Amino acid sequence: MAEPAAGTAFAEEALTHLDTLYRGALRLTRDPDQAQDLVQEAYLRALRYQHSYQPGTNMKAWLFAIMRNLFWDRFKGSRKEDVSLDDVGDFVLFEKLRDEGARPEGDVLDKIAASEVVTAVDKLPPLHREVVLLVDVEGFSYKDAADTLGVPIGTVMSRLHRARQQLQKSLYDYAVESGIVHADGAKQVPQQ
Amino acid sequence: MRCEECADKLDRFVDRELTTTEALEVQLHLESCPDCMDHYDFEQQLRLKVKSSCDCDRAPQIFRDKLREILS
Repeated sequence: MAEPAAGTAFAEEALTHLDTLYRGALRLTRDPDQAQDLVQEAYLRALRYQHSYQPGTNMKAWLFAIMRNLFWDRFKGSRKEDVSLDDVGDFVLFEKLRDEGARPEGDVLDKIAASEVVTAVDKLPPLHREVVLLVDVEGFSYKDAADTLGVPIGTVMSRLHRARQQLQKSLYDYAVESGIVHADGAKQVPQQ
Repeated sequence: MRCEECADKLDRFVDRELTTTEALEVQLHLESCPDCMDHYDFEQQLRLKVKSSCDCDRAPQIFRDKLREILS
């Protein structure tokens, strides 16, 4: 069997990262059709500029960088001022649940539906959402996330910290609203 | 190591972003402090929850096929 052409081999390798790109695009745009448009455009751009990819480096990070840059160009007009996060203070879900007497604290997590976690992630401002996607969902190191986003590692860490606090606050609010925990300090987690 | 310092480093410990020495110090503290160990277990569970909730989306097969055709 003949060797695949260089371009085809590149495309095949790039396509092994499709799910990561699609998930990222879906969480950034929050719309399946826009996510597909964004991913398709990212792949076309990647193919066009494949000479700038250095073989042996992190292709997933490179592709994600192309996709998220397109997102900010196309969907946000490069407006990145959307960084506001509610000031939730130093919110630590574990400590909050412990204060409420919900033990073991992890039982509360088991009772929160996956769709509620996705909703909480979607509520984060895009600049914070993308850090959570890279580090918490796709398992990027801080350095790879920093390279992908074109920011210093310290920025990744501070955005991640604030995003996680906001996320924990959203999950806590949901747990209280849905009766999974009682904010009045009731000493038990209701059984489902 | 005090509990405050452990709490401060816990995120980076879970993310495997501490130096080997720092990670060892945190590990030693966790083994001797049930409260911090509970907190560590919770943070790990929370990370898994976020990951498993968000990483189940897959690109639709029809879209994958379309892309492969466009790129070839």
